[in-house]
Amino acid sequence: MIAAQPLSDLLPPEALASVDSSPLFGGRPPEAIVRPASVEEVAALLSWASREGVGVLTMASGHRVAPVTREGRFVALRMDRLNAIEAYEAADLTITAGAGAPFSSVTRALGENDQWAPFDPADVAARSLGGLVAAGESGPLRMGYGELRNHVLGARVVTGDGRTLDLGGRVVKNVAGFDVLKAVVGSRGGLAAITSVCLRAFPRPEVDRVLVRTEPTVRAAAGLALAVGTAPVLPASCVVVDRLSERGERAALVVRLHGSRATVDEEQVRMERHVGVPFEVVGDVGTGADAASSESTRRLLEGVRDHVKSDGTVVVASVRPSRLPRLLEVVDRLGPLALSCDAYTGLVRVEADPERITELDLLRRDVIALDGAIRQERISSTAMRGSADPLSPHDDRRDASAAGRTALARRLETAFDPAGALWPART
Amino acid sequence: MAQAYEAQRERLLPCVHCGFCLPACPTYNRLGDEADSPRGRLHLMGAVVEGRLDPASDAFQTHIDRCLGCRACEPVCPSGVEYGALLELARATATEARPPGVLTRGLLALMGRPLLRKPFLLSGRILRATGLAALATRVIPSRGPLASVRLALAMLDATRPWSPEAAEGRRTSESRAVPRRDRALSPGDAPPNRGRVGVMLGCVQAGLYSRVNEATVRTLEANGYEVVTVAGQDCCGALHAHAGRLDGARALAENNIVAFERAGVDFIAANAAGCGAAMKDYDVLFEADAAMSARAAASSERVRDVTELLASAGPRPGAEVRLSVAYDHPCHLLHAQGVSGPPISVLEAVPGVEVRVIVDADECCGGAGIYGLTHPDLGARIGGDKVAAVRAASAQVACTANPGCMMQIGAGLRLEGSSQAVVHPVEVLDESYRRAGFYH
Amino acid sequence: MTGPLPPRLERELRSVVGADHVITDPDRLMVYESDGLTAYRVAPRAVVLPASTEEVSEVVRLLHGADIEIVPRGAGTGLSGGALPTPDGVIVGTARMNKILSIDAADRLALVQPGVVNARLTEATRPHGLYYAPDPSSQSTCTLGGNVAENSGGPHCLKYGVTSRYVTGLTVVMAGGEVVRLGGAGHEASGELDLVGLFVGSEGCFGIATEIEVRLLPLTEGVRTLLGIFDTMEAAGHAVTSIIGSGLMPAAVEIIDKATIEAVEASIFAAGYPTDAGAALVIEFDGTEAGLDADADRAERCCLREGAREVRRASSETERAALWKGRKKAFGAMGRIAPDLLVQDATVPRTRLPEVLAEISRIGERYGLKIANVFHAGDGNLHPNLLFDRTDAEELARVEKASHEIMSLCVAVGGTITGEHGVGVDKRGYMGLVHDEVELDMLRRVRRVFDPGGLFNPGKVVPDAVDAGALPEVSEVAS
Repeated sequence: MIAAQPLSDLLPPEALASVDSSPLFGGRPPEAIVRPASVEEVAALLSWASREGVGVLTMASGHRVAPVTREGRFVALRMDRLNAIEAYEAADLTITAGAGAPFSSVTRALGENDQWAPFDPADVAARSLGGLVAAGESGPLRMGYGELRNHVLGARVVTGDGRTLDLGGRVVKNVAGFDVLKAVVGSRGGLAAITSVCLRAFPRPEVDRVLVRTEPTVRAAAGLALAVGTAPVLPASCVVVDRLSERGERAALVVRLHGSRATVDEEQVRMERHVGVPFEVVGDVGTGADAASSESTRRLLEGVRDHVKSDGTVVVASVRPSRLPRLLEVVDRLGPLALSCDAYTGLVRVEADPERITELDLLRRDVIALDGAIRQERISSTAMRGSADPLSPHDDRRDASAAGRTALARRLETAFDPAGALWPART
Repeated sequence: MAQAYEAQRERLLPCVHCGFCLPACPTYNRLGDEADSPRGRLHLMGAVVEGRLDPASDAFQTHIDRCLGCRACEPVCPSGVEYGALLELARATATEARPPGVLTRGLLALMGRPLLRKPFLLSGRILRATGLAALATRVIPSRGPLASVRLALAMLDATRPWSPEAAEGRRTSESRAVPRRDRALSPGDAPPNRGRVGVMLGCVQAGLYSRVNEATVRTLEANGYEVVTVAGQDCCGALHAHAGRLDGARALAENNIVAFERAGVDFIAANAAGCGAAMKDYDVLFEADAAMSARAAASSERVRDVTELLASAGPRPGAEVRLSVAYDHPCHLLHAQGVSGPPISVLEAVPGVEVRVIVDADECCGGAGIYGLTHPDLGARIGGDKVAAVRAASAQVACTANPGCMMQIGAGLRLEGSSQAVVHPVEVLDESYRRAGFYH
Repeated sequence: MTGPLPPRLERELRSVVGADHVITDPDRLMVYESDGLTAYRVAPRAVVLPASTEEVSEVVRLLHGADIEIVPRGAGTGLSGGALPTPDGVIVGTARMNKILSIDAADRLALVQPGVVNARLTEATRPHGLYYAPDPSSQSTCTLGGNVAENSGGPHCLKYGVTSRYVTGLTVVMAGGEVVRLGGAGHEASGELDLVGLFVGSEGCFGIATEIEVRLLPLTEGVRTLLGIFDTMEAAGHAVTSIIGSGLMPAAVEIIDKATIEAVEASIFAAGYPTDAGAALVIEFDGTEAGLDADADRAERCCLREGAREVRRASSETERAALWKGRKKAFGAMGRIAPDLLVQDATVPRTRLPEVLAEISRIGERYGLKIANVFHAGDGNLHPNLLFDRTDAEELARVEKASHEIMSLCVAVGGTITGEHGVGVDKRGYMGLVHDEVELDMLRRVRRVFDPGGLFNPGKVVPDAVDAGALPEVSEVAS
């Protein structure tokens, strides 16, 4: 390989892994898999790639990579060696760790001080901190805690042309300069490679109450979820799934209430009164709950969280919450194998029937009519067709300013990555 | 001039330019130009004091003149800037640099001289009594050269006495058992003596709202105050002070200080918020006058709004008056005197009365003296918003505690074809006492 | 180019926004020469007050065509000089764009114009059982457009987060007048770059937000407010660490230091704090009534354990206001004991507060300056107030030196130079303390992404070789 020679001059041998995991890339393996152990090595790689015109595909933890359809030379960048917990200031409620640190290890470290990072997107247990931040997904707990992007206090990143930037800091309030960090969070590695992240931690709630209401249909459950959304309490999360595996083929609404026992008891009463139906208390995770019930509740939550399997063909769609019932009708045409819905943000994730994914473009018009968005998020390796990239961001609005928005995004990418070296991560 | 500048410089220092006053200002809220905000006006005053701005300039003249003087900026100021006092000093500077318009000068000339004031107000009563004012309001077009005359006559017509029975939706033919002019004599348990009170009768109040003065005397007596007649009292001087004629204001104020001293009263009761505010500020007016300052301060100490006196006495409840009342705070009671609760307490003391404080009741009605005549467009916008808020409260009567506001709101209602009465809180209490048979 | 606008341009601007809403009289323009930071005075060439997105777009297009700088301005309450005019520029003010366009109670969203006053939005949404959470201390007057530009915080953002957490969508007028809609509720799934998050906090350098979509929260049911009186600042600092460390989530934790207590108690705003106290701590919990007393009890125990002399508790709105009074009136009270006041706004990791405060007081002694501290202790967001008299040039020089030392100190312990007031012009000189040249260059590049010509609020935020010197230094300003 032509590129391997100069790269090995730049990087120590242990930073270059053998390319033996080619199935990951859908049969088009990279020239090299680079596993840097320092931010300097990441910078060296990216400036090299920019000079040489080689693409860099960031894999974060690298447990899942979509087939590569793009033309041209590329290397893969794995962050798994940048996995240290660099600083944990429990009293300040901040934790800094390498991008390749598994999110589960961050959670474990925080747990020792009864703290946590309240982010629960699908598959979070298997993801790296950097991957999570690059994806910018918060999960349904954002209802009670706010989005991930608001709790990423700082990050060290390397731009596409190899410049190292310390964005943000280690303090919760920081307006020293434009908030470039916000743009990097959720940019899927398209602006810069994230090498370490400082997160805000939270004290674990005394009680994490999990309430379930099963309903015959998803639409009925979503209707209840909307009622919860106008109740005079703010739950930690409010999720609809098309079935709870343990309970047969019934849709369910799963609501979590966090706080002290007294607060949670009162909020449950208030919510039930507002919605007009009782909920079943699956259990309390937290102090005082008995271990067995706590464990089974935890399992149920994980089931709900990972209900839409990440290795399938996943479509995400969103509308304002009040339009959810109509969006559910629309996505039903994808023949969902599994569906979950975050009622707070109006975000629906479905594992589509691979045979019906071609319907996606037809659905788009209906979603636009609802002033929403729809995008294929994950692709199963067997379903890959054609050469177009179905996973690129989709701005469905064809309003007068669509061109302006796109132009801004492109110019921003150029500011970070003038040579276009970074290939956005696709999973 | 130098002395006035020095007084301004001292008072301008606490302003830290924080801008908390902006949203409290009715002119800024409608025009959006910071020169029409309290902070902007203070900045212009500062520029004049610093010698950077000519007091005869359009900028200074226009924006100082455009201030309503409602002082809504004072309670929200974290630094305690005395805006009202500064405005009067700035107006003095402005009028010295450039004389004010004929309307303002004319009005001040009338109010400053009892010999002119009395016939002027009498002719007003004649226009009102003959129904000519009401008629003119209907026939004069709302636009054109006579619009100001129409507004003035509507204000005059708005001062007509109200009929409580009509407001309650009852027939008005019911005979009144008690002639309205009777003094209060409370039957049975005489309330304890709460002190000797002289009532500030005012010019507009005495001329057009004598019924409010009468109700003031009766309700105070019914609550245990000894009300004495105070001879020799004059216009309070507020209009002069607001216009920057501080010498004129001081001459009038001195007459009042002397008159009330001679009457030997414990309290000076004002039922016009504008008069009360001005009289509570006599100490400031005379702060640089060694001979008068102590007497002025003693006089200011004694001034109370009539509702403050009544509220501190309870007031005692009377008979039922079934009315919904939309209350609006006069700026010179709420902002200048910090009195918000007592007028409402007075109203709520009446069985059957339901008080509805209107939306944005803390904002100026646009009355502000003759603002509607000197600034017809802006005055109409501010007044229009107030009338809309009064109407939105859908109460049977509107109520406020200052004659200027009563006329402004009443005129606004009339020009929109509404015949809703605008009353003073003591009028409602007075009606309740009349029905209770406290007077005979 | 300074001086009057070209007559033709002035005519065109007047025809767009109405003759009364273009201000060109130099006497009137004086009113706009400062925002909430009065250390600088620069009069603009003109002020334009548009009333709609369309008018803003047309105004920006005209100014852009004439290559004239644009300084956006909300209520002009900022404390870092972010709305300070440039001598060549025109102010585009949002004061007339003060309408709440819609309140969507079902989705808990509101759409507002930028000139809407922060507190006004909460008043308007309260009947729906909702409120807007970010509460800058100036919330009764600052506007949402300004909040977006500055990414404003406030006492209660300890629990609820700052402005960017609540802004879901923006309509923005860009350089050249192009109108672009960014984000928007319901577009979570688009996978677009977070341009809304990037725009929030851009201090008027990227464009003018003309419509702002924000998230609302359900009203909290109850509030408990505690006032802890401590003999020393150190003990108060430890109490804060102890409260946060115990897992409690207060809505606000504010500290008032000895110098501030003395200033407040000596002023017309006396709040009844003991004047011999070393520090006072205001702690507030809000939420569902049922859990509040227990939370307040726990916080009280934390305070007492750390040596609080007494802990007062408010049980009514009047009592609550009384406990907050010393905090809320602090700036006004200080304004009355010194002619000038420089408010700093550094943030440090919360656990470093005690040592940083001790060092700040040593810096004050070294420079012979009175420094009073009131701040958001829960966030580690300090507001040292340096009291001075600007007519004393020598004292002013000491203030500048002391400020620089305080900033360096805060950065050295892992903090930053501004937590919520923004960089503006005032903290431009400190940007080098927290960003290296590569990062500053990146900030400039990002600015050009939005505004290639650099006409929006030039000279703010990023020190730039080209525009350095365009603004007078504090000491050059006439007083």
